[in-house]
Amino acid sequence: MLLLKIAFRNIFRQKRRTVLTGLSMFGGFVMAAVFIGWADGSYNHIIDDFTRHNFGHIQIHEKDYLDRPSLYKTIDDYPRIRSRLEGIGEIDSFAPRVYSAGLASVGEKSAGVRIIGIDPARERSTTAFQKKVAQGEFFPAAPAHRALLGKDLAGMLHAKVGDDIVVVSQGADGSIANDQYPILGLVDSGDPLSDRTSLYLHVRDAQELLVLGGRIHEIAVNIGHLKKVGPTAGVIRREIGHPGLAVDPWQVFARGFYLAMKADMEGMWISLVIIVLIVAIGVLNTVLMSVLERTREYGVLKAVGTKPGQIVQLILTEVNIMAFFSVLLGFGVALALNSILASHGIRLGVEFSYGGMTFDTFKSEINARSFIIPAVTIFVSASLVGLIPALKAARTDAARAMRTH
Amino acid sequence: MSPQDDPIIVTEKLEKTYRDNGVEVPAVRGINLTVHAGEFSAIVGPSGSGKTTLLNVISGLDSPTSGEVWLRGRPLSQMNGRQLSDFRRDHIGFVFQAYNLIPVLTVRENVEYIMMLQGIGKGERRRRVRKMLEQVGLPGMEGRVPPKLSGGQQQRVAIARAMVSRPALILADEPTANLDSETGAGLIDMMRELNRQSGMTFLFSTHDRMVMDKAARVITLKDGRVAEDRQKT
Ligand SMILES: Nc1ncnc2c1ncn2[C@@H]1O[C@H](COP(=O)(O)OP(=O)(O)OP(=O)(O)O)[C@@H](O)[C@H]1O
Ligand SMILES: [Mg+2]
Repeated sequence: MLLLKIAFRNIFRQKRRTVLTGLSMFGGFVMAAVFIGWADGSYNHIIDDFTRHNFGHIQIHEKDYLDRPSLYKTIDDYPRIRSRLEGIGEIDSFAPRVYSAGLASVGEKSAGVRIIGIDPARERSTTAFQKKVAQGEFFPAAPAHRALLGKDLAGMLHAKVGDDIVVVSQGADGSIANDQYPILGLVDSGDPLSDRTSLYLHVRDAQELLVLGGRIHEIAVNIGHLKKVGPTAGVIRREIGHPGLAVDPWQVFARGFYLAMKADMEGMWISLVIIVLIVAIGVLNTVLMSVLERTREYGVLKAVGTKPGQIVQLILTEVNIMAFFSVLLGFGVALALNSILASHGIRLGVEFSYGGMTFDTFKSEINARSFIIPAVTIFVSASLVGLIPALKAARTDAARAMRTH
Repeated sequence: MSPQDDPIIVTEKLEKTYRDNGVEVPAVRGINLTVHAGEFSAIVGPSGSGKTTLLNVISGLDSPTSGEVWLRGRPLSQMNGRQLSDFRRDHIGFVFQAYNLIPVLTVRENVEYIMMLQGIGKGERRRRVRKMLEQVGLPGMEGRVPPKLSGGQQQRVAIARAMVSRPALILADEPTANLDSETGAGLIDMMRELNRQSGMTFLFSTHDRMVMDKAARVITLKDGRVAEDRQKT
């Protein structure tokens, strides 16, 4: 239709202004696309690293364990589940854990502790636990009746590597559990609360102390790709086929961390608002100017029978054609930038640490939403802002516009 | 009633008063006018006498303060904005003093525009545009753009656009004011010729003596009133 032709040609008529309008949309799009791609990449990297090295992406417990942890809420058939998990291709690694509380003393000093039984070989491949051993050594694969202490707990107990620590707790059979272990090493997990309370034993030493037999409390599972956490949890649930057990993704059992990450991501929306503003000001300025300059043309169009709605359409078409080409061009540039940032990342001048993990380079992620969100934002905000001059043009009083003096 | 007696425009006690910063400016003060189909009439009068205002109110571009306009027997006050806009599109051709054309459209597209709004097919449009451009003396100019045409040529295109959809009435507000006298007279001659051929009614305003001498009827306004209405024989 002719209106489309008029729209197209009007765009080429004032090249400077079109370039300005286009640049604001192009710039807004590229900024948003790069920012979202980078933010997504960074957050997912932090989340992946943090969950992988702390809790695992997925955890399995007795179904009420997370709500009210207890020595008695156990996974009873670990050997069977272990062989099932080993058959699931999506799983990278997994590690069983035992938890209880007790009292520990070294010499005169004593403190409440959290007893954590771990499988050294599996923990190595799952959470790289050995890297958290700050002093002394990590457990050998076989149970050796040794203990690891959180470094702050060791400080409180004035304990050092080689000292003996006495642990008192309650056995699952109701008996009083107590034993003495030489301290093999000190753990710096990056989490001060954990380092102030944790006492680690080989999972089989812990089971013996707590009279648990083969029972455990938790299995931490890491998978190949963080994004597949939901479907993989489903696969695990199906494979182990045990209604008494809960298989949860990290968003459930690491809820606090999840909420903190989500809150941080809200920052993204603020950046979108800024982009909307840039686009809005760019579009409003230039489109309003050209509408004011063309009052006579709208007067003629209206005088010969063009309807106000068609004039609104004309101007919104102009704005959206500019948006289309700006986004198209921006897509190419942003894709290139995101690809570069996905392989090289951005090096922060300073190290950034989160929960004991330090990061200094963040890489972008190439995903659909980092292009779709900015594109939709540009089209919607350009159209909304374009509506102001469009309505103004549509209301042109032809009689007044055509007066030549 | 012969077609010659069929009134195409009737105004009754037509008044238009502008409000300018609280001051009332009476521009048209009680005009009773009848224009019959096929007339070729000029509205003349000093600057500020209300020529533009009268034409704008007659076309429905502007609304009267009081009084009524009937176009082909239909009272404009009964139409809403949409109906007025359709009515103008289908029954009135406009020629303004200047800036008549959409600069980004070619001559052909400018002339075609109203027919497109009316939904007339492409073949028919092209045929009519070609014929119309011949009639206004611009054959083969379809592909040109308005900024590359002279003032006189632009006004001819405007007349072609006004006439091509075959409205009953052509309103032209000082169509020759931006042209030199000779070109202006030539344009009016052409309009007169088209008026004779097509039977369309022409009502135009002018300052130019040479132009008004070519009109069959000269309506002289003064201070918003008809001071003289002279029919030539
Ligand atoms: N929008 C307006 N607001 C206030 N007064 C107006 C407006 N338009 C026209 N007028 C006044 O109305 C009167 C008639 O104006 P109009 O333009 O109809 O005269 P005209 O005969 O066409 O004059 P010209 O020969 O200069 O074109 C003038 O006094 C003019 O100042
Ligand atoms: Mg005038």
